[in-house]
Amino acid sequence: MVNNGSKQNGEGRISVRDVEKVYDPEGVNVRALEECNMEIEPGEFVMMVGPSGCGKTTLLNAIAGFSNVTKGTILLDENVIAAPGLTQAPGADRIVVFQGGALFPWKTVLDNLIFGPVVQGKNKDEAVAEARKLMDKLGLNRNTEDMYPGNLSSGMKRQVEIIRALINNPKVLLLDEPFRALDSLSKNLMHEYLLEVFEITKKTIFFITHDLEEAVFLADRVLIMTTRPGTIKAEIKVDIPRPRNYKVLSTDRFAELKERAFEAVREEALKAFEAGERELA
Amino acid sequence: MSASTLNTTSNLWKQVRKTVANWTTVRRIMSVLLFLLAWTILVQFTGQFHQIPTPAAVFAALFQLKLGVIFTEIFRSFVRVLCGFLLGLLIGFPIGVAIGYSRIANYLLFPAVEMVRPIPPIAWIPLTVLFFINIESQIVFLTFYGAFFPIVYNTMGGISEVDIRLPRAAMSFGINRMGMLWKIILPAAMPQIFTGMKVAIGITWLMVVAAEMIASKGGLGYWVWYHHTVMEYPMVILGMGIIGLCGALCSVGIDVIGSHFMKWRNIF
Repeated sequence: MVNNGSKQNGEGRISVRDVEKVYDPEGVNVRALEECNMEIEPGEFVMMVGPSGCGKTTLLNAIAGFSNVTKGTILLDENVIAAPGLTQAPGADRIVVFQGGALFPWKTVLDNLIFGPVVQGKNKDEAVAEARKLMDKLGLNRNTEDMYPGNLSSGMKRQVEIIRALINNPKVLLLDEPFRALDSLSKNLMHEYLLEVFEITKKTIFFITHDLEEAVFLADRVLIMTTRPGTIKAEIKVDIPRPRNYKVLSTDRFAELKERAFEAVREEALKAFEAGERELA
Repeated sequence: MSASTLNTTSNLWKQVRKTVANWTTVRRIMSVLLFLLAWTILVQFTGQFHQIPTPAAVFAALFQLKLGVIFTEIFRSFVRVLCGFLLGLLIGFPIGVAIGYSRIANYLLFPAVEMVRPIPPIAWIPLTVLFFINIESQIVFLTFYGAFFPIVYNTMGGISEVDIRLPRAAMSFGINRMGMLWKIILPAAMPQIFTGMKVAIGITWLMVVAAEMIASKGGLGYWVWYHHTVMEYPMVILGMGIIGLCGALCSVGIDVIGSHFMKWRNIF
């Protein structure tokens, strides 16, 4: 079911146009996003970094369909998926892998994997066969099939969750700091795993994070978001050739790109920090 | 051959040493012995408590129990507890689900529930006489009432505290509203729902004993109260122990059912 040709047939383009999001609980008027514009090509791997609370997750939630925008539009290919007044809903064409993970703890690995297809009305046996095929293809040990998520290492949980998303053949994969809680060694392994998955599936990936090394290592392009109200401040094209492995991390080019990203983010983090201080004073 | 048998025997002994015959077990047994010792000393050597039977007297009373009588009383109390508990579950669970899952139901039901809840269940005893003429119904109503609120509150709380990411993930996969409730929300809230049931069954025992003491219609509460009126205090304490045992048994029962429904939690 995983479509190798999404790059060729051009599925999975995300266009964010002049998006604004104002949270207004009891008139507090928090401006999370303002004049936010971004274009993600089909089959592109885009990372977004920015200081805490800058609106990255707000943008991701709007793309995912968990919340709407107050101005502007978001398109997935030709379809408007977010715009003021639009009753949008999340869909299997854009699936989120969450920070901390959202596997269903009461379901076994296999039941987690087939959940999407079964809910969408697919025959259970077919879904199981498909899940097993995908497990083999993306290197998830079949012995884990009958285990509960609570029994898996945190790295393997993420692996299951990525496969659970991919079995729905989404046009884009949205990742909200999925590896944040992992120790650095598992994190490195998951990075290489995700790169491998990307090579195999060629899905569009939009991934938000705080971790600059993670961003430069994985992305085709790193977008830097300003402090609130969030807008795209700069982009860094990562011209390190694929397929990449951990050796990339010790190259000069990597260090140089990471340095550039660091400087751009630092400026914003400083602004956010000072704004925070003023608010407290 | 014999060497290997010897080996397994000594392994078995090592296993026993590790799991049962260790200092932890000794200390646990000592805890119970110390309690009994403190009880004996308090009764024997203080003027204040000299009428209270010693542990030895209670143990002796065990052999004077008429098994037919005591099991009839146990059975009566059990039936009342189970009726009250099941009614509480049957009525409390749907209300808890409604309040936790639907905003409208929350506005309609929760304030009333919240208003009545602080009244201790035992305070309802006088009023039940107006509700039911039949004494059995009065007792079952009181046990039901004891079970009702813990079940409502924990079901409601379990549902409202479900990690938002789980329903969000399910929404992305395309689940509908009914599926969301049955396949996501209720399984996710299950641990707390069972916590509610465990609290509830404890309170039903409390209620049944109180009601039986007043109603004089048999049951363990009545049995204890009867032995109080004829001043057979070893029997009173024995009865208290039996009530405690029954309550513990019910609590374990809920745990067993719970671990059957939540296999995913017994994974370590």
